[in-house]
Amino acid sequence: MNEYLTVFTGIYLPYITLAVFGLAVIYNFFKWMFLPRPVMWAIFPAKKSLVNILFTIAQRIFSLPGPRKFDKLIFTLSWMFHIGLIVSLSLHAKYIFTSHLPYEYEVGTTAGMLAAIGSVGFIIRRYADKRADSHFADYFALILLIITLSLGQYIRMFKMVESTHLWTWVQGILTLNPILPPANILFLMHILFAQIYMMYLPFKTLIHPIAIFYGQKIILDSRHVKG
Amino acid sequence: MKVEQIHKVFDEYRGLSDNKLRPFEQKSERFLESFRGLLDKKNNWAFLLPLRLALEACTHCGTCAEACPTYIGSGRNKIYSPVYRADMLRKIYRRHFTLTGKIFKKLIGAEEITEQDVNAMAEAAYRCSICRRCVLACPFGLDNGLVMREIRKIFAELGIVPEELKEEGVDNQLKYGSAPKIPYEALMNILDFVKGEIEENRKNVNVEIPVDKVGAKYLIINNAGDYISFLDTIRGIVEIMNYVNVDWTLNSPRTGVFDNVNYGLFYSDKDMLRVIHAHLETIKKLKPEYVVVGECGHAYDVLGHLIKDLIPPEERPFKVIHIVELYDKFLKEGKLKLDKDKNIEPVTFHDSCKIGRCGGIYDEPRRVIAASCKDFREMYPNREYNYCCGGGGGFALMSKYNFLDFRMKTYGRLKMQQVKDTGASTLITICANCKRQVLDMISYYNLNINVSGLSEVLANALVY
Repeated sequence: MNEYLTVFTGIYLPYITLAVFGLAVIYNFFKWMFLPRPVMWAIFPAKKSLVNILFTIAQRIFSLPGPRKFDKLIFTLSWMFHIGLIVSLSLHAKYIFTSHLPYEYEVGTTAGMLAAIGSVGFIIRRYADKRADSHFADYFALILLIITLSLGQYIRMFKMVESTHLWTWVQGILTLNPILPPANILFLMHILFAQIYMMYLPFKTLIHPIAIFYGQKIILDSRHVKG
Repeated sequence: MKVEQIHKVFDEYRGLSDNKLRPFEQKSERFLESFRGLLDKKNNWAFLLPLRLALEACTHCGTCAEACPTYIGSGRNKIYSPVYRADMLRKIYRRHFTLTGKIFKKLIGAEEITEQDVNAMAEAAYRCSICRRCVLACPFGLDNGLVMREIRKIFAELGIVPEELKEEGVDNQLKYGSAPKIPYEALMNILDFVKGEIEENRKNVNVEIPVDKVGAKYLIINNAGDYISFLDTIRGIVEIMNYVNVDWTLNSPRTGVFDNVNYGLFYSDKDMLRVIHAHLETIKKLKPEYVVVGECGHAYDVLGHLIKDLIPPEERPFKVIHIVELYDKFLKEGKLKLDKDKNIEPVTFHDSCKIGRCGGIYDEPRRVIAASCKDFREMYPNREYNYCCGGGGGFALMSKYNFLDFRMKTYGRLKMQQVKDTGASTLITICANCKRQVLDMISYYNLNINVSGLSEVLANALVY
């Protein structure tokens, strides 16, 4: 059973995940891109040049001016969650290039903690805050992520897998010569949940990393369609 | 007072009459058909992208609620939060127009449409003034206010629109030249009265009010409601234009539409375009260099902004400015000699949503007020963060049943506190709908403040 799980999650599923994730992200990006440019529907102060618009979007992605002004709790949780997640994912992506980075353990553990606290905070807030009705899918994404993060954190903290083995596994996938991943059951569960999450991500409201470009562009763009 | 029995379909208020809403009629199938049309890029290119984004990408974080004046003013009643109202449409969108919704149904918040939902949505769409303050809160820039406007469009296709906006608004305007049906003779009498009043107050001043003059540099089209309810604003405009002695004109029903409003903006792109075309026909006859939008917010949104995307440039050979931009220009050119001591009472300024947040005019009115008033006090929040007064989205015209109570107990309550906190005795605003709402608010809460347009304040400070 463990062997089947190892082969499936470590050798076949990564390709399925990458295909589903990649195609779904591309689909979501282009389905909005090919919709007609709307009428000028800006919120002022807005911008008149594309460079300014894109610069301000980038600025807003990191500074989250809306949540910062209107809801400090979600602003704080968002920061913890997203920074934690981005750093964690970056430390995973390092396996493309190397097996080890200095201070990886400390940075990775802190990032994992931040992301986990952020996502638990999101769940509590979602449950306790009655301004919006959350449905199963809203919780599902968060629960899936918490499980994935917790397993990852546990594996990292107790050094349950060999980083050299992880590196060669990732290299194998990238060079289309996959090898078996570490056979630790917790690690296999971790990569299984992570991949389910990645496949689920672009189909639900987690398309928001793409939507933010379009949504913010509409409200920042004070140029007119017909000059 | 006789209280008319109303059927509750969403909350304890009603904005639509039973005659319009027809609460016992089956409408869900036609609703879905109309909704389908809204998702078609041929029918709805102008708003499709922001609509689809709002329908598909909202994460239900609820941050928008804290920006919504209805939600805050109501004491944080969940049903007035933007996300809740927009979700009424989103759940139907998911169930009927997405594959995942058809498969996973309630698991992803997709729900079958019911007749109760349809009736509730019709009313819910008129609990949002589409002030778009919630957009500022959304981290993704999603527009739950636009969703409300699109719901109104769906219902307009079913013939469900408040009479005040459709029959007494757009239809009257297109038939009589103004929503309040002011005939030519009455308009001329009003203008004669204005002329007489200024000449009486300003001795040795000879006032001319050009009407329907072809080829004038500035054609000022006012909100016709000002000719009835806010004549001081008209008097101010006339006095200032005479003072600066530029080539200008008003227009009358004889040239077509002389009312700058466009209530189509609030419920239907088709009706909005009908009014735009009527405005264009009128302007074509008068051939001005500038069309000056009188003190009105939504009219500026349509004529100043949306028209540029909806009408090709060759069909609009004129520039559009708001009257406050014209005053600011006169000020910069040194054409206005002002004495602040003529306006010594503390004043505050209300940024109208359609002029500020949606129009980009923030500094011009402040410069004019600073030049003409001794004691200007900002209200907080202000500029793009200012609260909607509750007159937007057509609400200022809607008072049937107990709708005035809704306006006052939500938006009105919040605005009242905001104004009180300034300690000002006069609230200045440059939108007729805002003035109407604030006037109702003063009377409803028995407040000891005045509401005024900017024109009369500026005119009062003129030095001859």
